[in-house]
Amino acid sequence: MNPGLDGPLTNALVGTRRYFTRSEVSDDNRSIHAKGGRAGDAFYRDRWSHDKVVRSTHGVNCTGSCSWKVYVKDGIITWEAQQTDYPSTGADRPEYEPRGCPRGAAFSWYTYSPTRVRFPYVRGVLLEMFRNARRAVGGDPVLAWASIVQDPDQARRYKSARGKGGLVRSTWEEVVDIIAAAHVYTVKRWGPDRIAGFSPIPAMSPVSYASGARFLELIGAPMLSFYDWYADLPNASPQMFGDQTDVPESGDWWDAGYLIMWGSNVPLTRTPDAHWMTEARYRGQKVVAVSPDYAENVKFADEWVAAAPGTDGALAMSMGHVILKEFFVDQQVDFFTRYNQHYTDLPFLVALEPDTTDAGAADDGGGAAYRPGKYVVAGDLDIPESTSENAMWKPAVLDARTGDVAIPNGSIGFRYGEEGWGRWNLDLGDIDPLLTVHGTATGTARVVLPRFDALDGKVSHVSRGVPVRRLGGRLVTTVLDLMLAQYGVRREGMPGTWPTGYDDPSTPATPAWQEEITSVPAEQVVRLAREWAENAIDTGGRGMILMGAGTNHWFHSDQIYRAMLVLTSITGCQGRNGGGWAHYVGQEKIRPIMGFQHMAFALDWHRPPRHMNQTAYWYVNTSQYRYDTFTADDVDAGTGVFTGKGVMDLLAQSVRLGWTPSYPTFNRSSLVLADEADAAGMAPADYVVDQLTTGALRFAVEDPEAEENHPRILSLWRANLLGSSAKGNEYFLKHLLGTDNAVTAAQAPPDQRPTGIEWPDDVPEGKLDLLMTIDFRMTSSTLFSDVVLPAATWYEKHDINTTDMHPFVHSFNPAIAPPWQSKTDWEAWKAVAKRFSELAVDHLGTRRDVVAKPLWHDTPEAMATVHGVVRDWRTGEVEPVPGRTLPVLVVAERDYTAVFDKMTSIGPLMETVGMLTKGVPYDVDREVEILRHRNGVAHGGAGDGQPRLQTDIHVADAILHLSGTTNGHLATHGFKNVEKRTGTPLHDLAAEHEGKQITFADTQVAPVPVITSPEWSGSESGGRRYAPFTINIERLKPFHTLTGRQQFYLDHDWILGMGEALPVYRPPLNMTELFGETALGEQNALGVSVRYLTPHNKWSIHSEYQDNLFMLSLSRGGQSIWLSDVDAEKIGVRDNDWVEAVNRNGVVAARAIVSHRMPEGTVYMHHAQDRLIDVPLTETHGRRGGIHNSLTRIMMKPSHIIGGYAQLAYFFNYIGPTGNNRDEVTMIRRRSNQDVEY
Amino acid sequence: MSTFLWVIFPYICLALFVGGHVWRYRYDKFGWTTRSSQLYEDRLLRIGSPLFHFGMLGVVLGHVMGLVVPQAATDAVGLSRSAYHTIALVGGIPAGIAAVAGLAILVYRRRTTGPVFSATTTNDKVMYLVLGSVIVLGIWNTIAGSVFHFGGEYNYRDGVSPWFRSIFALDPQPELMAQAPFGFQAHAFLAFLLFAMWPFTRLVHVFSAPLGYLTRPYLVYRSRDERPGATSGSRPPRRGWERPELQRK
Repeated sequence: MNPGLDGPLTNALVGTRRYFTRSEVSDDNRSIHAKGGRAGDAFYRDRWSHDKVVRSTHGVNCTGSCSWKVYVKDGIITWEAQQTDYPSTGADRPEYEPRGCPRGAAFSWYTYSPTRVRFPYVRGVLLEMFRNARRAVGGDPVLAWASIVQDPDQARRYKSARGKGGLVRSTWEEVVDIIAAAHVYTVKRWGPDRIAGFSPIPAMSPVSYASGARFLELIGAPMLSFYDWYADLPNASPQMFGDQTDVPESGDWWDAGYLIMWGSNVPLTRTPDAHWMTEARYRGQKVVAVSPDYAENVKFADEWVAAAPGTDGALAMSMGHVILKEFFVDQQVDFFTRYNQHYTDLPFLVALEPDTTDAGAADDGGGAAYRPGKYVVAGDLDIPESTSENAMWKPAVLDARTGDVAIPNGSIGFRYGEEGWGRWNLDLGDIDPLLTVHGTATGTARVVLPRFDALDGKVSHVSRGVPVRRLGGRLVTTVLDLMLAQYGVRREGMPGTWPTGYDDPSTPATPAWQEEITSVPAEQVVRLAREWAENAIDTGGRGMILMGAGTNHWFHSDQIYRAMLVLTSITGCQGRNGGGWAHYVGQEKIRPIMGFQHMAFALDWHRPPRHMNQTAYWYVNTSQYRYDTFTADDVDAGTGVFTGKGVMDLLAQSVRLGWTPSYPTFNRSSLVLADEADAAGMAPADYVVDQLTTGALRFAVEDPEAEENHPRILSLWRANLLGSSAKGNEYFLKHLLGTDNAVTAAQAPPDQRPTGIEWPDDVPEGKLDLLMTIDFRMTSSTLFSDVVLPAATWYEKHDINTTDMHPFVHSFNPAIAPPWQSKTDWEAWKAVAKRFSELAVDHLGTRRDVVAKPLWHDTPEAMATVHGVVRDWRTGEVEPVPGRTLPVLVVAERDYTAVFDKMTSIGPLMETVGMLTKGVPYDVDREVEILRHRNGVAHGGAGDGQPRLQTDIHVADAILHLSGTTNGHLATHGFKNVEKRTGTPLHDLAAEHEGKQITFADTQVAPVPVITSPEWSGSESGGRRYAPFTINIERLKPFHTLTGRQQFYLDHDWILGMGEALPVYRPPLNMTELFGETALGEQNALGVSVRYLTPHNKWSIHSEYQDNLFMLSLSRGGQSIWLSDVDAEKIGVRDNDWVEAVNRNGVVAARAIVSHRMPEGTVYMHHAQDRLIDVPLTETHGRRGGIHNSLTRIMMKPSHIIGGYAQLAYFFNYIGPTGNNRDEVTMIRRRSNQDVEY
Repeated sequence: MSTFLWVIFPYICLALFVGGHVWRYRYDKFGWTTRSSQLYEDRLLRIGSPLFHFGMLGVVLGHVMGLVVPQAATDAVGLSRSAYHTIALVGGIPAGIAAVAGLAILVYRRRTTGPVFSATTTNDKVMYLVLGSVIVLGIWNTIAGSVFHFGGEYNYRDGVSPWFRSIFALDPQPELMAQAPFGFQAHAFLAFLLFAMWPFTRLVHVFSAPLGYLTRPYLVYRSRDERPGATSGSRPPRRGWERPELQRK
């Protein structure tokens, strides 16, 4: 019996239909089957129909690197959808696809956004001045520019107009004239290193990056670094690994047995990869989330570890305490022992120095006190190797077999020089290194160790005993022995102060001790530490820690990371699939790094390039150093290593010793220096040394406010400095740009100033003559710029894209031609280069340029500072020798009239000198010849007969041909070169792909997986997932460190002086002590004082997408600050009320998002919300509220500018002072007037 | 003047009415919609809409009775003048009040509910003006004229109705309207103006009232119609190397 429809009437009515239709009505009257009548389908078919689908991706530094289908209909970009044609990851494993997040899915909206920059714009007052000046000088734009910037009144007029509107439409011809003229003038008058370019993150679009970089490097202008500036750079990585951010692909999370997300909110920041973390749980993986707030990733975790912000180091130390005690002292685990013998510095010998302070006297009375000192090296001892090559660079161990000292292969001493061929490897041979001296000791020694866990951050000390032997007249012990002391793991017979157990909170680093700091229950710490270690044993090291900005953006993040990396390295997890660290921040991994570097920095025409650390650049050039009451003493451990020196003094010292780059370098043009040397009949390097030692020539950093040392031109592209990354944003506006700002801080009083720096009372404002931005949307950067160029978007150009997260190379392709008057970055910079070259004929010609370069990592220059002992030629402690105790000085001959020709062709150095990357040489004659045929050959000009780089595809193909990751032949060739040094087989890793060349055309068809190459430390051979350092572990290739192993110990003078030789807990900076900010939690008329953190937004990628209508609709539609319900109650704030946050650096006006997910005492302002949408005038000063970085300031840590000492040596984006910003605090209050004005 | 008002003008409007609907159906099928605002606001709508629509049904029925059916016919079946009058008022006044009240609620709702007002086009507003005026005049005519006999007694079935029928008989008699009271003239004029506008407004939904729903089963399956020409919508099939993925080859 059919149930029929509800109600007999309905049933009867509907039942009649069958008599009036040809269609078939079902027996139960519920359905009718009609044929046709689907004309209405045209509605959605029309909506979906399109004319073409183009593959492209997004170049936004999100690390997603997702390939997208872009749909075009009637010549309009309509929408995008995720590509699903990624190569398979193999059996028994989920796939990568589909990849793409809500932000990316909204990108097509930008194509026709109302704030899209469609035409070239110039600040109106400047344009008027320029046109008048041009007429007045008779047409030469260089002279016109000169007349403007040399006139203080005119200069002030247009500089003070920055950010106040008045951008006027111009033509490409005119703006290119202005830009080229300004560059020519600056090179001529001040020298090329007064110009700088900033474009971050090559991986997201290397051809676009290279566009401006290549031009600037050809004229001798520095490119500013980004990794350190963004505070994403973990200094612990170079310190410990000698490598920078080599991390697993997300597919490798699947392989881990234990996964900790520690400072990385994966679902939010790795949206397309997060599925691996959720899927791996079904394999039995345990997931732990360490986070101060109930973040998105917490709900996926098996356990939430709610550590207070910035205290992660204490948490990691105490986990280390448990692991060291239970798996290194109470028992020895074979797996751990063997791993540490081979791959870490635990067995290496450290000499103890007598403690000359009275810190040790206080504790434990009686007995001499010692401090950890330097590694014992062959040259210190009375052994045959002491006279070998690089003997001072070959650290020693104790051999259990002989009971005596031994020098294992693989340290940096074997990496360079003739004797080292075939010996730079981790093969211990017959050596059986003792991890500890305990058991063969001849005595004990009381070592004074620093602790910084006092609330004011000031150092105190604890004495702990270590077993010692006597060697070469000194007491020595192993790194493990020092670690056990540092971590408070007691052993039988050791003197000193030790905790009584895990529950003793009085001394580091017990679980009870950390509980008082982090509020994480001791019990949880003990349990997780045991699980972690046991998992490592059971799975053979498949324990992985995902890390990120949450733990890396602090002043002392290097210490936080070192403590975390102890956990992964001592348990043998590093260098395995499914194990080790996984630091994810920006899109750092430009996989074809070799080809990219050589093309982007014009290394085919000139070497070396100028690379500048951006943090130091702005610390100096936005005059933030003048407000720094934070002295170097604040970071030392009471050792007096920095007495009398400010941070700026240390920076100046680092510069003159050749450790860190500095541009502008000298207080005279580098071109003029070359001319003067020629006139004096001296070699330029000798001339410079002479001038420096007599004081006739000084470094610019010693007198930054002098006009000859000012930066003059800054170009931004693919970047939003003033709306996003500018720590101390208000200081930029004041000193660099010379316009309205919200700085209220006072400059440092006389007793807190650096001693070696010129300190004029009047500080100039508006140092920069020209700020130029290329972008496709209006941002704070474009609004403050003097010249704005319209850029093509990611759907309108050719480029490539790679990421840390997966091993594929994607292409960008144009779905439409750049609309309105926009141009691709490559075309825009070519236009500038062309005009520059034309103007250079009359104004520059060919000049010689003295390039100062710091001592580089991965080169013999890094063996400049024996034992890390700092000796300064300025005080006569050592001779001034370029490339040893002074920067490297090289003369480049620059034909400025040929810049365009050089930019658009590959230079001869590729064939005459070859390529060198991470210490590995490559012969690329074959590749250059292939490119001649592929790209065609330039005819005439400086690049005659050379392969062309005319189009963006030419550049992309050049990059792909010149990197082992995309050129199997080159990878195999590179490995063969490495084999000569290591003496171990390596080239089979790339041999399976030896004949393969990935071209740009290949990437247009589908995502292409890369090839294992010496450029990176992990192997993808055989289709395995990428994990870093697998080559090191499996093929015994050394780490690029002093010992050749992963280093827990650092013995440079400055680091010893700072008490950071070993991992140690350093709390967040005490802003009250240092800068007089109101103490956390205190309340007054300005509101309540809270910790101010700036994590990632859900509805934007930095400032990108924040102004996209879809994202605005999904979020609050403007700037917002998250605070806890508890704090909101204190200041009477309800959700969505307007609040103001004020500190000494600036003011922010935003809406409050009140949530119980937030911990008390902490607010989040998601970074880079920019200040263009819905940002009102503030109550505090009546001007528009600032960006998130208006409340922050640059703080430099001295250990990050060490150089010339093995892995502590400079390279671009490898090491450097960071733009850390999480130690900041702010007052936050409810606005009394909730009716805001704009 | 009266020729224009009562002969030329009505024919123009009717022509627009017919031609307009043909054009609309041919070229704007997807726009043949009332653009319902039920999702934005449904409480007031629940009252106002049925009130208005059922009221209008009654009004239309009454107009058929009064305009289309000749007085002679009702006389012939024995319906006295006064009986007709009673029926007309007893039926018409409630219908009219319902229509007016419903319209008032709907217009109030449309004006004061933010999203609903934002979704209202100028076309809608003009249509509302004309429609409202017609209805208000109509009820005025009924109350003032037929109830209170303002301006003296007037039997529209002697004047307006025959004029109305004369238009369709193609033998127009303008003088009948010329003599009618102003209220009826205005009502008629605006009504024809409404007819002229009709096919270009949302009122077309009247002719797509879903009567079929009364007998339609709940689930309607439509298979593809392979007959040639059957699947054409407003776009011809595209050629080209790049076919949209969803289209079967």
